[in-house]
This record gives sequence, C-alpha cells and structure tokens, in this order.
Amino acid sequence: MIPAKNEIDTTEERRGLGALFVLIVVILGAIGTAFAQDVEPPADPAPPAASASIAPPPQPPSAGPAHTPPVTQLPLTSGMAPLPGDARVPLKWLPPGAFEQDTGPSAAVFPPQKLTLRFNHKFHVETQKLECKSCHQGALTSQSVHDVLLPKPTLCDGCHGTDHENLNAVEAGDDDSGKCNFCHVGYQPGDGNRVAKFQIPTPNLVFNHQKHAARNINCQQCHGDVQELELATRDQMPRMRGCFGCHQHPDSAARGDAKSSCETCHIKGGATEGGRLKTTFPSGVMNPPRWLHNAQHAPDFIQRHKYVAANDSQFCANCHKEEYCVGCHDGRVRPRSIHPADYLNMHATEARLATQRCTSCHREQSFCLSCHQRLGVSMSGPTGVREAGRFHPPKQEWSDAPRRPGHHAFEAMRNLNACVSCHIERDCVVCHGGQGIGGGFNPHSGGFAGGCATQLRRNPRPCYVCHDPGASVLQRCQ
Amino acid sequence: MRLRCLFSSLVAGSALSASLFSARPAGAQDTAGGLAPNTAATPAAPSKVTGAPAADRPLDAEITSDTAAQFYEMRSPTGETVISRRRLTTTLGVAVYDLFDKVDDPRAPTLTFRARLRYDADYGGNAEETSIHRPDRLVPGFSRGPVDLMYGYLEGRRFFNGLLGFRLGRQYVTDALGWWSFDGGQVKITTPYFLAFEVYGGLEQRGGLPFSTSRYERDGIWRGDRSGYERDPTLYPSFQPSDIAPAIGAAIESSGITWLHGRVTYRRVYNTGASNVSQFTNGVRSNTTYEGTRISQERIGYAVDGSLPTLGGIKAGFAYDLYVKALGNVYASVDWYATQKLTLSVDYDYYRPTFDGDSIWNFFMAMPMNDLGLRASWDPSSRVSVSGALRARAFTVQTEPEKDLSFQTSPNGLYEANYYPSSSIDPMGGANLAGRYRIGEGFIGARGAADLHRSGDRVGLDVYGERTLETRYVLQARTGVWHWNDKLRADREATNFGYVLAAGYKLFQRSMVLVDFQHDMNRIAGQRFRTMLWLTIALSK
Repeated sequence: MIPAKNEIDTTEERRGLGALFVLIVVILGAIGTAFAQDVEPPADPAPPAASASIAPPPQPPSAGPAHTPPVTQLPLTSGMAPLPGDARVPLKWLPPGAFEQDTGPSAAVFPPQKLTLRFNHKFHVETQKLECKSCHQGALTSQSVHDVLLPKPTLCDGCHGTDHENLNAVEAGDDDSGKCNFCHVGYQPGDGNRVAKFQIPTPNLVFNHQKHAARNINCQQCHGDVQELELATRDQMPRMRGCFGCHQHPDSAARGDAKSSCETCHIKGGATEGGRLKTTFPSGVMNPPRWLHNAQHAPDFIQRHKYVAANDSQFCANCHKEEYCVGCHDGRVRPRSIHPADYLNMHATEARLATQRCTSCHREQSFCLSCHQRLGVSMSGPTGVREAGRFHPPKQEWSDAPRRPGHHAFEAMRNLNACVSCHIERDCVVCHGGQGIGGGFNPHSGGFAGGCATQLRRNPRPCYVCHDPGASVLQRCQ
Repeated sequence: MRLRCLFSSLVAGSALSASLFSARPAGAQDTAGGLAPNTAATPAAPSKVTGAPAADRPLDAEITSDTAAQFYEMRSPTGETVISRRRLTTTLGVAVYDLFDKVDDPRAPTLTFRARLRYDADYGGNAEETSIHRPDRLVPGFSRGPVDLMYGYLEGRRFFNGLLGFRLGRQYVTDALGWWSFDGGQVKITTPYFLAFEVYGGLEQRGGLPFSTSRYERDGIWRGDRSGYERDPTLYPSFQPSDIAPAIGAAIESSGITWLHGRVTYRRVYNTGASNVSQFTNGVRSNTTYEGTRISQERIGYAVDGSLPTLGGIKAGFAYDLYVKALGNVYASVDWYATQKLTLSVDYDYYRPTFDGDSIWNFFMAMPMNDLGLRASWDPSSRVSVSGALRARAFTVQTEPEKDLSFQTSPNGLYEANYYPSSSIDPMGGANLAGRYRIGEGFIGARGAADLHRSGDRVGLDVYGERTLETRYVLQARTGVWHWNDKLRADREATNFGYVLAAGYKLFQRSMVLVDFQHDMNRIAGQRFRTMLWLTIALSK
C-alpha cells in the first residue's frame, strides 16, 4: 500500500517545484558568498620568518640618505629569476626527488613566497668565492623551521658599502652595487627608507638543520645546485621523494639512522577526527603524492582506498588513527560522501546492484537485519510490526516452481548478499531444508557432493540445520 | 543516567590527563624535533595543556571525545511503521605516547597506550523492542544503548634493536582479509632483510559479548546475546547465542622497500559453544543444539603494491576461503602516470560471497560478479582535481540445469521445466565523476554517479563545500539531485532534491562544535529532515 503522502496533487507539486527553484538559488547564492572571499591563501598568521629584519616600519622619505641618489641607472637583469630569461631550471639542479616537469614542492608545506630581493647566488659563489654558510650562518646550527636563516642585511654592508645597522635610516653605498634598487626590487627614487616587504613564510614542517649538518649532509643534498642559479626560489626547497633517500618508509629495523615516521618531518595533530598529522594549512592541504604507494588522494579516493588499505594498513596509519577509519567503517553515522540524499529510501536500489559494497561497513545479519526487522521489512521479524504488504514480486513469479524469468533463484545466485541482509536462515530452510525439515529444494551447486566431506568434518552445524544428522543424504559427505 | 556516567567518565578522563601531564618533570626542555622554540624568532610556545600539540615531547598524551546526536525518522516502504531516531553516539579516547621518554633517539623502543570507548544509543527505540516478554515486538540483537570498547591496546615498537614490535589488547587488523578486530596479542619481527613476520592470537570481537559489537565477525549467521531467552528456547531459534571465538593468524610482509610492498596473511577463527540447529521448534521437532568447537573462518589472502614514480603503479590481491574452498575476492588496479598531472587507470574486481562457517548460505549456489573500470584522474593545478570512471559489472547466473544429478535440483521432478537464461552474463553499467577545488582551508567539490541495470537505476550529483573563516568559523553546505528507479517496484521510483547546511565553531585546534541541518524532498518521503549536533573535543599535551 502506498502511503497517502505520495499522493501529492499536481498543483501542489508545481508549487513545490517553484519553491525548490528559489531554494536552489538561495543555497547556491549562500555558497557563492561564502566562497567568494579571498581566494588567495592568506599569509602565515605567524610573523614571516624572513620579513622582520628586512622590512622596517615605513619612514618618511626624508629619513633616507639625501646626499647620494639611492638608485642606480644600471640595467639590472640578473638575479631576478633562477636563470637568465627565467629559463626552466634543469632537473639536475633541482633538489633530489624533483621530477622532469616539476611543479615545485607542496604549497601546503612550503607556502608561496614573496621575493622582493634581487640576488645572484652563482655570482656570489663562483666569482666572490663565498660559501653557503658565509651568508646563511645559522643554517648549521638551526634546530627549528622558525629560525631565520637568511643573512642579516648588515652582512651585505661589507661588500656593498651600505649601512643597514639602523633599519630606520639605511645608508646607501657609494657605487652602483650599494644603491637601494640594486637589490631591492621595485625601489624607486623618492621611496626613501621604504622597500617592498619580503616574505618567506615559515614552512609547515619539522626540520632540524643542525642534525643533518652533523651527519655531513651538505646543502645540495636537500636544496639542489643553488650555486648554479641566480635567484633561489621555493623550487629549491626539498622534495619529499628526496628525503626518502634516507628517511625510508616504513619505520623498521631494516632502515638506517634516519627516523622514518611521518611526524619526524610533518607536524603532529590532525585537524580532523582521527588525524595524526596536521594536514590543513592556509596555503593548502597536504595529501600523499601519487608516487608514494600509489596512494594519491584524488577526489574519487574514497572509492579506491581499499586497494591501499588492504595492502598496507600501517601505511594509512601513518596519518590516520583507527577512529578515522571507524568513522565510516562501523556504520554509526551516515557519511554523506558515500550515502547521499535520502539514502534510506534509495538504498534498496543500490544494495541490489552491489550489496558486497555494503558489507565493507555493515554486517548484514546484524546491522541490516535489525533495522529491517524493526521496520517490519522482513519475513521473520516481530509479528507486531511485520509488513502487511509484499516486498518481492508476486509469489507465482518469485518463488513458485518451476523457475521463470525473475525467479528468486536467479536473484540469489547473482547477489546472495541481498538475501542475507533481510532473511534469517529459517526463511530459506522452509523450502530449502532437506526432506523432513523443509521442502527439499536443493540449493547446492553442481559438484557440491565432491567437496562436502571436509566441510562436514570441520563444521557440521550448517549441514544439520537442513539435514537430520542421520539422513542418508549426509552419508555421501561422510 | 547513562549520560551522567558518560560525563563522569569525561571528567575522570580530564583528571587522568592532568596526572599524565604532571608526570613530566618540571622544567623539562623541549629538545626533540625541529619545532623546539627559538625565542628570538617565534611567538611564545604553548606552555600548558592546549588543543595544539606543537612539539614532539616525551609522554605525549591526549584525551579525545567525539559526540554526534542525530534526530530523524525512518519509515518502512509501506509507510506504516515509523521509527523516530534520536541517536547519540559518543566516544571517549585516551592515548599516551612515548612512554619510554626517549624521543630523541630514533632507534629507541617506543611504548604507546591507546584506548577508546563508545556509547551508541538510540533513544527512539521502544523498550518493547528489547523485552523478551513482548515477542510481538522483540527485535533480537537490538540494544538501545550499548557500550563497546572500540580498541584498547599497548603497543611497543623497535624493541631489541628494532627487531620486535607487539600489541596487547583489543586491536584492529586490516589487510586483504578485510577489517577485523580481536582481543589478544600480536608480535611482529622485523628483520633487516626486507621481511617482517607477524603472528597473533586471541578472541575475535563478537556481538553479544561484553563491550563488543558484531561488526567484525563474519556474516551469514544471526547471532547475539540470548541471555534471558532460557525461559522460552523456542523464541527465535535462528538467533544464535554468542560465545567466545578463539582466533589465530599469521602474516609475512615486506619491509623497508619504498616502491614495493606485499603481505600474505592467514587467519583461522573457531566457533565454540552451543548452536541451535532446529529452525522449527513447533512440537513436531524437538529443540536440537549442536555443541562443539568448529571452524568459523579459515582464509588466506595476499596483497601487493608496486609503484615507479615516473611510470605508474600496480596493486593486486586476493582472498581465498579455505573452508568454502572458493576465491572470495580478487582485485587488480593498474595506474599509468601518463603525464605529471594525468593518471589513467584500469581496475578489476571479482567477488563471490562467503560466510561464517556456521552459515547455511555458504552452500547456496552463489555466482561471482566481475567489475571492470576505466578511470582518469587529472590535476590541472594544485587546487583543482578531477576524477572520472566508467565501469561495467557482470553478474553471473545459471544457464542450464545442474549436470551433477546426485543432488537433484528439484525433488518434485520439475527441473526440466525450469527456465534458464540464454546468457550467463547479467550486465550492469555505471560511471562516476568527482571534482574538487581547494581554497586555502576550504574546498568546493562535486560528486556524481550513475548505476544502470535492468533491475533498477540510480543517477545523481552532489555539490558540496566547506569554508573556514578566520581559522575558527566553519561553514559547510551540500546540495544535490538524485533519481532512483526500482524496476521491480515501480512505486519506489523517485527524484530527490536535498540540501545540507552546517555551521560550526572551532573551540581550539581539533575541537569543534557543529550544527548540521538536512532537508530532503521526494515523492516517497515528502519532506524529510535530519538534524545533527557534533561536538569534538581534543585535549593534548
């Protein structure tokens, strides 16, 4: 019997559709408003590690040196990009682990930078014979990603003839290399002591330079051949694949000294339920790259993650705690990413198409059955709520012999799980039990007698449900 | 009353956390990891219990709790029976890491304790549904407010120079044999020769036993707590009593090779205790039980995964049921990294149901189904990802009478008259498309799917998004249209439009309160509402 609720008249339906349309517009508008905000990731909320000493508070133009013009008229082309003409950096100069068509390190780990300084590493290393540590003095002793590893501007003063001692009144040098715009990109005459802000946000990472330096790991092993480049950009930051050269996965006795658990490098504390690692940052979301156990978290990963988990659950456990998996796999709160819309009314159709998918989260003879019995959608539920109508097609088509198209035998053999989610064994034994117990309709497949002896020996219980222990038919399996 | 107990537990948990935190010597320095505070360059580090575990410290501890309250209605397909669901699901977890206080040494042993309790109540459930004095309403196995221990184990790693690891307590095992839980011990030996050996033993987690759920036992047998049924053994004789289920297992796994991983696994579980084999205790037949230790499951599985960063990857596996003597599942997935941003894949799945050893359904004719999928995944930028797949499934059916007439198909002699399909393949088609656009700490996504079969179709699309404002205000929205057509019961065809609106507030990192409202409209349900309240609390040191 169809509930009266289904009998909505056409006028009401039209009115409902109109209201529906208005609702869609309102919802989409609301979503649009929420998402129309700044699409650029905001800068790291913490003070940028490299900006504090470079960008002093704005001062009036008069505070700057007035006796020498602070700009040079030289054509300043080098040091604006990694290579002249912004050519692509060859793979061999990129950090180990980079790919041929490299897209740079993860923005979630290394947020986008704002480089407002012109600098030529190659010139300083090859011509000026400087070493990395000449400028990056803190790199060998740093224990935290929060440490500022860029040189203080006063370090430049020795060669450039400038005086950055007082950042509120920086003195330009006498020659062209000492002029403000020689290094500070975009500096204009009349800017006085003001230069563009330089931002290298703190990486979302755990890293200890000192420990690596103590193991004779040189700069190039993580940063690539910076000495071949002019401007060093974010692209020279380490790639995770390169780190794996030492930090092999998994964490086990077979590996070297480099600790390989994820929180060795990644920040602990998941933002979501059951997360081990912090993966969401203003600059992006951290997900496994596809080369790492082929576990790319693409938008359809929810449908394919079983391939990864079945192979190596410890790999998943590096980022996810048990409760993250249980959130879906224990069927307590319906996840909309899997069961959309009015799934209670829709699920029967999907269950018939692919019940084996249901069993990855739900046990049929408890989860499904209990609910079906409570609602009366079962053959053997409590009499007080048992469904008055018939769920299956008419008996003549569905269960009477001989079989016709649409007979339940075909439905059962193509998807037996669908039967098990509603019926208890008694329902089947009524007809499929051996003679004397049920109707005697044999449900076994051909050749069953050839292999049943072992099964009878190891667990006779299911045999006795349908056959009397002394039945002659059982002797064929003994 | 139960709620009060729960909150008492929560308070007790907080007290425990305080005592754990105080176990750390006063003035101890944060020396491990790269996040040790540099006072010259960083803001002040958290100095007491906060929601943000900022550093890797000895004796890290956390208390977590997740609560979901749901309010909605369910009705039977006839519309006659309506159940009001007022569900409260709450968990309380405790974890203590680095009990050995040697986090500085990467080769040092580690000891961790983790446990989580869950209370899952349905206050919409009627008391008559659990009363054996009301057989007309009794739903065997249904419980209005069970408490279960989801997991609780002590885990050691890297003992004896990294060779030995172990787990003791209630724990999960996830591998080619599925998602499983048992109470007992597991020992893992990791050799320096790229192999690890694992053995475990204990008792399978079974519904009806204290602090347990039935989620992890094999399907096909209706089983649970029959205490109280003694007064009337004829009451639901098919509902089997629960008893302990000894389990053993072993696995050999590769270790330490980044690009290749394989695991072969074996598991055997026994059923014990009495089992009622009489389905009709009506006076004609007596109530008969079978009692004895018997096999519940014996399966072997293998899974392998290999990937080459510049070429692609392959995953494959199978699970074989040694009791039923049948392959339960075979899968293979091949990914080709066509370009840096494009991955093309072929997925294959074979499935044939197998059940608990006590189940009669192991011996019903069940034919396998085969799935083949072609998939593409494209990341045009770091913010945009799109994945789509076409898939085909072939169910299998019987096309002719059984050749082996030692077991006659139909004892009434009608088997010759039976209809058999001309083709054994019963095809089904489908597709899915999913996309995602990330915006900082938010995203907009879409997910569509279509399943088409002679017995019914399902087609639809959801658009959803989440946005966090000022790092603490969370907005979520979802809307979608889905159509389903049950060709066996035409009156069940419907098109549903629904939307979900949610707003939350992050109390601190990993802790949030969120209210969620769902509204669906379709001709079967009319207007359908579901309200949810979420509360997540995480206190960490």
